Amino acid sequence: MSMKPMHEAFHGDFSRLLEHKGVSISAPRVGEEEGLPAAHGTTVIALKYEEGILNVADRRATSSTGILYDEAEKVLVLDEYTLIAIAGSYAPAAEAARFLKHSFKYFARSQLQEMSLEGKLAEVSKVLSQSIPSVLQGIGGFLPIVSVYDRNHKQGRIFFYDVLGARFESREYGSAGSGAEKIRGTFEYITRTRGPFHVLPLEEVLKDALLLLDIAASLDPATAGLGGVLPLGKTITAAGVADIPEEKIRALQRKLLSES
Amino acid sequence: MAYTPYDWQQTLRQKADYVEDRLRGGSPVVGLSCQAGALLLTTRRTQRKIYEIYDRLAFAGLGNPSDLETVRQLSVDFAHAEGFQRSPDDVSIQRVVGLAISPALKRSFSDPFRTPLVLRALFVQVGDQPNNDLFFALNYDGEFLLQHQHAVAAGTEFAEQQMRRILTERETKRKPKNALPLELEAALEKAIQVWAVGHWALRAGIFQSDERSER
Repeated sequence: MSMKPMHEAFHGDFSRLLEHKGVSISAPRVGEEEGLPAAHGTTVIALKYEEGILNVADRRATSSTGILYDEAEKVLVLDEYTLIAIAGSYAPAAEAARFLKHSFKYFARSQLQEMSLEGKLAEVSKVLSQSIPSVLQGIGGFLPIVSVYDRNHKQGRIFFYDVLGARFESREYGSAGSGAEKIRGTFEYITRTRGPFHVLPLEEVLKDALLLLDIAASLDPATAGLGGVLPLGKTITAAGVADIPEEKIRALQRKLLSES
Repeated sequence: MAYTPYDWQQTLRQKADYVEDRLRGGSPVVGLSCQAGALLLTTRRTQRKIYEIYDRLAFAGLGNPSDLETVRQLSVDFAHAEGFQRSPDDVSIQRVVGLAISPALKRSFSDPFRTPLVLRALFVQVGDQPNNDLFFALNYDGEFLLQHQHAVAAGTEFAEQQMRRILTERETKRKPKNALPLELEAALEKAIQVWAVGHWALRAGIFQSDERSER
């Protein structure tokens, strides 16, 4: 006869639940050492604008020096008010996003209240620190940019992380990926010479983001420019997450390409 | 002293009586498919009684709040672990109730040394169209029943019968207004009627013999 309680309490902690159920959440071991090329290299950009945050990403997934896929989605919706833009090894990043999405939902449904912003950001750190072993082996590392709409402070906020899980908040912009490194200075140049992004309308920051993406593409072979498959854009505002219509991006693409 | 099969049976009967006694006072639960989705309706004093389990799964019940909470947590845990391990599409009402909850309830109920869980509950899974909505009515002993379009859970069998009668009566009249699936407003109205009938039947049924124990 077992007197074990019928139900183990996890207090909304999704990783403890998975551990209890014997589900492994460690990042898949992919890497060039094993002969399995890891997908990496990208440019993701997050910019503030007057209503919230814009996220734009190219859609190229690379593997070693080749192009693996040209329609990858790198801006993922974690919940109604949270976006994650991922750069780095695609498999563990996508898996982490899937974990986070489930973790937020699990907390809300089991605890009957939304996970706080601080709680969500800490959960991202936790996921990153779990992938440290594969980072140290030179495989499976990724860097996320988390964009949220903070309903308590009624403003969009951008957070970026290092590979070990340290979190930093950015005032105006965030970017990650091999292409982003090459254009980092331009964000600073724009904000210093023209002023901050957060006072601008969406149209303008979208144009900036696409142009920056195209510049990154011209300097980084792992980033697709405006010439090929259209980049994807998402916004996050007080009204939640929304896709930027394809026509809007296409119109700007034509304009920018004709100007360049 | 030896523990005989007779004692075991007697214990179960006593446990059932114990649970039935405690369920009698509970507010009935009505489940009804409507065009926009599925409606679960009950009343409450303080505790919340209708919960989201997963993307297309909800749960409501009557009974002891902490027992309802146990079943709810088990369901949420199972659904999310499965949804993550496989895919959200693999989380179905049939798996949650039939594989995760019902056997656990049954085990707990038939263990003579455990206090039985006091609850009767409805699970609903919203389908791609109202005809594909599924209701599972779950009993405290782990028994469950699959139903389409509507389902009820109440403190006595008599109350459930009366509630079901209203639900099926309205259907056969074939008034266009009452054609299933209903609009949300109409469904709400109907569910309140059905709830009221169940509530009335529980009060009236206090003096009736309990038919459930004869099953």
